[in-house]
Amino acid sequence: MRFNRRGFIGAASAGIGLLAAPMVRAQGVANVVVIGGGAGGATAARYIAKDGGDRVRVTLIEPSRAYYTCFFSNLYLGGLREFDSLGHSYGTLASMGVNVVHDWAVGVDRDAKTVSLAGGASLPYDRLVISPGIDFKEGAIPGWDLSAQNAMPHAYRAGSQTELLKAQVMAMREGGTFAIIAPPNPYRCPPGPYERVSMVAHTLREINPTAKILIVDPKESYSKQALFEDGWQAHYPGMIERIGPDFGANIVSVDPAAMTIDIDGQVEQVDVCNVIPAQMAGRIVHEAGLTEGDWAPVNPADMSSRVDPNVFILGDAANQGDMPKSAFAANSQAKVCANAVLGALTGSRVFPARYSNTCWSLIDTEDGVKVGATYEPTEEKIASVDSFVSEQGESPEVRAETYRESLGWYDAITEDMFG
Amino acid sequence: MIATAIHRAALAALCLAAPPATAFSETSDADQRREAILALTPDAEYGAYLSSECTACHAEEGGDIPLIHGQDREALIDALLGYKTGTRSHDVMETIAGRLGDEEIAALAAYFSEVN
Repeated sequence: MRFNRRGFIGAASAGIGLLAAPMVRAQGVANVVVIGGGAGGATAARYIAKDGGDRVRVTLIEPSRAYYTCFFSNLYLGGLREFDSLGHSYGTLASMGVNVVHDWAVGVDRDAKTVSLAGGASLPYDRLVISPGIDFKEGAIPGWDLSAQNAMPHAYRAGSQTELLKAQVMAMREGGTFAIIAPPNPYRCPPGPYERVSMVAHTLREINPTAKILIVDPKESYSKQALFEDGWQAHYPGMIERIGPDFGANIVSVDPAAMTIDIDGQVEQVDVCNVIPAQMAGRIVHEAGLTEGDWAPVNPADMSSRVDPNVFILGDAANQGDMPKSAFAANSQAKVCANAVLGALTGSRVFPARYSNTCWSLIDTEDGVKVGATYEPTEEKIASVDSFVSEQGESPEVRAETYRESLGWYDAITEDMFG
Repeated sequence: MIATAIHRAALAALCLAAPPATAFSETSDADQRREAILALTPDAEYGAYLSSECTACHAEEGGDIPLIHGQDREALIDALLGYKTGTRSHDVMETIAGRLGDEEIAALAAYFSEVN
């Protein structure tokens, strides 16, 4: 039997101040539309439906019938996880009353408060939550566009691209070169490209030990750099080389037909090329006129758009301050958003925002590391208040425990997203 | 009750290992704090809201991260206080518990001790 929170309302203590006087709708059912069924959108839909009961109707718009998590997809590249284990359906959300619509949101009319779908339908909303993830900036890497993604996969939105990249690694000629072009800041999952290098190295060490990995990186430094470099030296000595901006890695173009990378005039022939281009908020946020530059600015207190208070933007697409673009962060932001949306639509209590994040990365079998922080809203941004990162030289037991913890987190967060 | 008893035994063992004078004052402070939290009336709605930060990592059935759903209320209070004051060590939990006040700990312990 589940705890029934409604039974305890009378016992509430007076210690917690309400942030704002809620606007209560006297009658009727409020409409919430959520665009995007990932860590931000699925979590928001689930919490709003769960806590809103029959006072709120939640519609989730997500084109994919099964969602494959980008988080942990590197472990599939490393041979440590089955592809199917990354897939999740929306059946449980539908069972709990979320109206799951498999379609593309192609437009938002913020005056009429409607969302138009590729299939032709138009959905009215009282509050709109948009959590579309990333899109790639056109022309970021000259020579590369989506028509080249079979020759040079990005594999940065999980699915067929992830399977393609794995197949290319498995089929690479003996002693060949796997290249990865890392993105400039800010981008989804800051340690992601470097965990990917670790997991590809893990696979190549088994099946193609003379192969090389070349990282072409426009950034001076990156997340957990010392931890990754220690790990690569210990587990994959001599296999991994990184070229930074001091050697021209910020001036890069590719030729997908020839399988070459031009690094400030020096041409490298490679066998597999994973291009992770510069990123921006998912296109629908731009369509809706909610962006400044590449991302959508939000109010740190509740993730509402700084452009339109009836719209909330979660996860990778939001420009919020110090939180990384991660599934954990999107999930954390979704709960603050859900509390604020329900407060506005049903008059339920609105509590102060609390945000947190932890990012685990795997360097080799059972060699896990992590970085994390807690955050609070200020006027200006979501600001980090306390943080930690794994230490260099930790014992194998600590690293194995960190890895097991990441497995527990995967199970918990996918349960928290999809029910 | 069993969990509480075990935890008390663990806490006693911990105190034996530490320098006696420090152990005495820490135990005394911790006991007072614990009693103060137990005396609060937990805010159930606040507890439900706060719990959503925990469920990002703690699954309903437990697993590779410890089970907190349906656990003993006093054991939950002791654990959160332990991470907050440094008698328990875990990097994630220390940052999470670090910003919990008495009211938050009371609300969370009440919430998770009553969910299944």
